[in-house]
Amino acid sequence: MSGPRDSLEKVKEAAVNLLDPRELLRSSVLEIRGDGKAGGGLVLAFQSLAALLLRDSDVHVQEWPFFSSARRGANIRSFLRVSRRPVTAACEVTRPAMVLLMDEVAAYATDFAQGVPPGGTFVLNTRHTPEECARHYRLSGRVVTIAGDSIGQQHLKASIGNVSAYVAMAEAIGGFSREDVVDTFLRTLRRRHVPEAVLERNRTALTASFDGVHTGTFDFASPGDHAGQVFEGYGQLPVGAQTALRLSEANRTANFAPSGFRLRFADPANSCTGCAHCITNCPEGIILFVPDSERGVKVTGAEVSQFCKLCQECIAVCPENLFVSAPFEEHWEEEATIR
Amino acid sequence: MTTPHSTEARFPRVTTASGERYDGVIDLERVRAAHHPLHQQRTEVTADGNTAAAYATLQMWRCIIYPGFPITPSTKWIETVAATLAADPSTKKRVKLLEAEHAVADYMVGAAAACRDLILPTATSSVGLDHMTETTRSMGASGLGNIMIINVYRATANYPLCIEGDPSDTLAHRDDGFIQICARGKQQIYDTVLQSPCLGMHADILTPTMPGYYGIKDSHRNARLVLEPDSEIHAFQDRWIRPSELPGLINGDTAFGNCVTSKYFQGFKVDQKRRMEKVFEVLPQIGADFERTFGRPGLAYFDAVGWPADGAVDLAVVSMGPDFGTFEAIRDDWAKHTGLKVAGLAVRLLTPFPREALRQRLQRARVVLVVNQAHHAGRGHLTLDVADALSDLATPPRIVSTFAGLGGADVSEATWEKMLDQGRLAVAGRAVPPYAVFHEGMAL
Repeated sequence: MSGPRDSLEKVKEAAVNLLDPRELLRSSVLEIRGDGKAGGGLVLAFQSLAALLLRDSDVHVQEWPFFSSARRGANIRSFLRVSRRPVTAACEVTRPAMVLLMDEVAAYATDFAQGVPPGGTFVLNTRHTPEECARHYRLSGRVVTIAGDSIGQQHLKASIGNVSAYVAMAEAIGGFSREDVVDTFLRTLRRRHVPEAVLERNRTALTASFDGVHTGTFDFASPGDHAGQVFEGYGQLPVGAQTALRLSEANRTANFAPSGFRLRFADPANSCTGCAHCITNCPEGIILFVPDSERGVKVTGAEVSQFCKLCQECIAVCPENLFVSAPFEEHWEEEATIR
Repeated sequence: MTTPHSTEARFPRVTTASGERYDGVIDLERVRAAHHPLHQQRTEVTADGNTAAAYATLQMWRCIIYPGFPITPSTKWIETVAATLAADPSTKKRVKLLEAEHAVADYMVGAAAACRDLILPTATSSVGLDHMTETTRSMGASGLGNIMIINVYRATANYPLCIEGDPSDTLAHRDDGFIQICARGKQQIYDTVLQSPCLGMHADILTPTMPGYYGIKDSHRNARLVLEPDSEIHAFQDRWIRPSELPGLINGDTAFGNCVTSKYFQGFKVDQKRRMEKVFEVLPQIGADFERTFGRPGLAYFDAVGWPADGAVDLAVVSMGPDFGTFEAIRDDWAKHTGLKVAGLAVRLLTPFPREALRQRLQRARVVLVVNQAHHAGRGHLTLDVADALSDLATPPRIVSTFAGLGGADVSEATWEKMLDQGRLAVAGRAVPPYAVFHEGMAL
């Protein structure tokens, strides 16, 4: 097993007894949980990590995702158990020693650190530093960060961080050669019949990820933070066939938008024609407008904070190109307004 | 017109009272020779349940057509089959994607009846199985034991819908006439799919099979999987699957959808039931042969965990599916903590239900805790079957009925402990409700 990589940034050593993933794997069971959004590559990252661990013939793994029937962009979870003994437990992982936050928007709706004991490992796909993350999410333990979306954008032409998140998790567990880490991910991709050119781009992204991993140990959690939720029964559920179960108003579906982008409206030249195509095509009714004596209506913007899934209908139909899909990185600011 | 190379020239047409047949038109040796082995030697892979089931069907030389229609959570079965066949341009095997599940079922009937020596597999779930219902009832009685519907459990047509593992779909089809076997874990899924046709196509049984496993919890869970060489699979299956003594559509007469009078309908049902009962005799033999051949447990009525030699336990747990594994994981600690002898059975053969074997195993238990995982109008599907199995014991064990994991909900360690505590109350002679639903360590 290798020690911490020289390039890893140790921002601050705190007085936290760290849980060594390798030691847990050896002595009992290493449990890992990941949070992300459907379509964001969380499942692939976990499958690849499972395959990497299985290169050791004495290891048993159990890896599975949890998702609902909701569309691309909805929150999903992945679980992984690793042990030197056969794994029989089939229940969800609720006290993981290591967690991954693949997409910070997923943390709006769920506490990715829930149930992690002090000294656990927190891996985040983020542009923030480990210390910033530890403060923001109130984490005690080892915090590992990587700007996976940026690496994905640079090498894969898409804001997808699973390649880097996988590398960060492998580095956090330790004991793997870079060659094995890269090779295992590419093998998992090959099983999905990915074209060779795409495999090469992933290879480049994987290789670039190793130097993007940052880590530090912190103690910012207060007692009670990230405690496991106590189930208190279902309470009053709507009687079957009531609409509350199927309306988007019951869910903040803006979280389903592609990571790193938001709808933006700008009309500096007052060029809205009042055609109202955006209003009639928007499936969520979030286009803002005012009456206008000449044009009938004048569009003034879009209320994107709750239900805009960035379906891009308005972008497609606007004759004046007043809507665009723009980069968005202010997740923490937005999260604060939601809570 | 008859030409030297036409079918009629090579295989003379024989006219019979019920139709026509072409003797010798089916050459199974050519089918066998056309099989491209997936694995020449024992191979270890990482796979989820759907992939395990797909590999098993791909490795059988008798499977040459794979009809299907995708539905969550079984979709990856047909995706894996299609991708694997597409990667081998010279294969003669074909995927047949149909318009809907009813079409799949009808197509399977036609293909299975055309040649009773081929195995016709598909995979479906939930409403997919429901859509097949009109035909599955006929399949069950048809004698077409070469049909295998792999059912990936998902809550059946329901409000609200749910895509996760809940055996209510398979349990709603108990009377369709299929042999239903529940598997848990990748290896057992693979092994069960390999053995199922041996059972269904047995000359004394001739009944279609429905091996199944829990959606998401097993269909999407990855773990290590050992794949056997195709040649050894073929040798094993060939020991059990003999050339059919009945003709098929191509080489003889097979009818579907006949209408008979009530007198004969009843007769057919008696015969169907008789063939189904033969499963109790043949299944253990196939399981034993599988274990001798491959070194892993073969088909069985149930998985038994923690049973002393004399069978005397305070609390016996009866359940099914992967959540039983969590019980296995906590059993020792809970038994030490309470001082009770605790053992468990994960039922594998759902239909026909192994009454006699269960009675033998449970007769010396003080309390039987049954964990049901599908919605039921009463105390639970499994509970009623267990009660039936124990009914003629002089002093039957007390039955405690519980529900957990409906809709594929997580069955946590705390939930298991709470259910076991319910059993402990019964062991102590305390009153317990006729049934209760448990979640996250709570009785709801």
